[in-house]
Amino acid sequence: MNSPAVDPHVLTPVMARVIQTHAMTARERFFRLRLPRPLKHRPGQFVMASIPGIGEAPISISCGPRDDTQLELLVRSVGSLTRVMHRLRAGDQLGIRGPFGSGFDLAEFEGRDVILVAGGLGLAPLRSLIEPILAEPDRFGRVTLISGCRTPAEELYREQMLAWQGGHAQVIRLVNDTAHLPWDGEVGLVTAPITELEMDIPNTLAVLCGPPVMYKFVIMELAARGLPNAQIFLDLERRMRCGIGKCGHCQINHVTCCRQGPVFRFSELESLPEALT
Amino acid sequence: MRGFLATRSAVLDWLRALGRAGEVYFPQPFGDNSYRFDKIRRHSRLAFEDFDAGSKDKPFRASTCVQPPGKLLSPDNEQIFIFHKNAQGDYQLTPTLDDRRRILAGVRPCDLKAIHLMDRVNGDDIPDAHYLSRRRNTTIIAHDCLQPCDRHCFCEATGSLRWREGADIFLTPQPSARLLLEALTENGEALLADAGFPPCDDVDACKARAEQRRARPFGRHFDAALAQVIQTVGDNGDDSVWDKHVERCFGCGTCNLVCPTCYCFDLRDDFDIHNPDSGRRSRHWDGCMLEDFAEVAGGHNFRPQLAARQRHRIKRKLAWLPERFGDGSFCVGCGRCGHQCTVGIDIFDIANDLLASGKEDA
Repeated sequence: MNSPAVDPHVLTPVMARVIQTHAMTARERFFRLRLPRPLKHRPGQFVMASIPGIGEAPISISCGPRDDTQLELLVRSVGSLTRVMHRLRAGDQLGIRGPFGSGFDLAEFEGRDVILVAGGLGLAPLRSLIEPILAEPDRFGRVTLISGCRTPAEELYREQMLAWQGGHAQVIRLVNDTAHLPWDGEVGLVTAPITELEMDIPNTLAVLCGPPVMYKFVIMELAARGLPNAQIFLDLERRMRCGIGKCGHCQINHVTCCRQGPVFRFSELESLPEALT
Repeated sequence: MRGFLATRSAVLDWLRALGRAGEVYFPQPFGDNSYRFDKIRRHSRLAFEDFDAGSKDKPFRASTCVQPPGKLLSPDNEQIFIFHKNAQGDYQLTPTLDDRRRILAGVRPCDLKAIHLMDRVNGDDIPDAHYLSRRRNTTIIAHDCLQPCDRHCFCEATGSLRWREGADIFLTPQPSARLLLEALTENGEALLADAGFPPCDDVDACKARAEQRRARPFGRHFDAALAQVIQTVGDNGDDSVWDKHVERCFGCGTCNLVCPTCYCFDLRDDFDIHNPDSGRRSRHWDGCMLEDFAEVAGGHNFRPQLAARQRHRIKRKLAWLPERFGDGSFCVGCGRCGHQCTVGIDIFDIANDLLASGKEDA
């Protein structure tokens, strides 16, 4: 109980500075922040972002690991806090706690073919994994990104995906509906391209991030191709309040999502009720 | 460590004296028939339970306090940090740790075990500095029970009746309105050294005497041993038991509110209405029985059904947390949830029904 590791700032954020921000879509806004000290995060981790007096919410880190003090977040306006966050401009401050969660172990991906499936805002956390993989393509096998959203107006990281496509990744961009807008990708669901992918099953890892409804159908497609559950990673969404495994909000049965997750192998979740629905 | 023997009234006088010098909490009557842990003040009515045969005082404080004493270690609306904007317009955040000295006296073994479990939870993994600061500065004077406090009690069944760990001083009722006072920590030793009570020359004999006077069996008992209960609740996949017990549940969260091992919370921000550039973040009790507890941004709810929330609550107490910490049941058998539930849903009955349904399956 008198452990010297007790940090009195455990629930108190440090104040980061917004150094760049722009609207990416009507609902999502990009933020580049400068922290007082490097965050040293792993891909797939999250932070608790807050504005003092307004509130705090879990936000996935959307950039790869870095040694400097910068951090990128992509924030969808869904509630009062994120609405206020959307009004922040360069020079404003944002509270940050973390990083929290287990995240991905990059070493596990070495030499493997990687299929990443993103639904909507799910692309933001996956970007924290794609960036380090594509920064050292020789360390990894083939990289395929399947990214879907509802309409062309909701597409995220468009320029970056086009750049990845021109580089070392195969990128399949989809919309459910072109909504009469110009569109240079494909039309359909993220499940469709999986049936046609060339897959070296024993050497392939799949990583999924998107709304709960997406997981079920993508997993069915991957299972149909014979990919074992232990080779499928999911990044789950829960509304963490503390990030330190205490508040109870993200608990899925005996599993504390903010500590043991939010990244899980599907084999860890298949017999866990309430994990996906 | 040494023991002392004193009359109940001498111990109460001592607590009153401590209460004049500092912050001392003790169970006190509140309303017609309920009790709460409250600060000892000048006119506080204080009494220890009287376990002497034939005593007329017996009904006094014959029930647990509605709120367990451990809640004082993680109070609702606990301030986490304060903030203000400096002259440059930048936020300055200052965490607030409560390091006031206080004494919790008259803590029953069930509540003592619960505090021990909260020490484990808050000290585990990434420690909760706010809880630990308050806990480090709290002295606990616990009190043995020789009879169940009410018909809801099942503390012996959950393994908390003889719990002593976490107490600084432990009181054991003795005949002739006396109490054995034992120091269990250096802190307790120092406190008792100053009290001036006559020493007890045979602590073990006093404890054995109390054990002989203890009710047998003590309170309610499950239809199987605790290990079997924990096993069955962990295994259970039979939905009919959960469905049966939520038929009349309102999902009001009272069971969470009064449980000594419920610790879930939410964080909230407030700015000062007179100066919006300053304010605070605070921690508020939350409960897994409340409808929006497992809701995420955008409105998806991972436990929309009451039965799923009931199952979650019971499995936390009797399966998942016991398995994680290896410290026995997280239900300490205080009986509060069943006692306070508006419609009489009792974790004790749920556990027995699960045992019965497990037997049918076998």
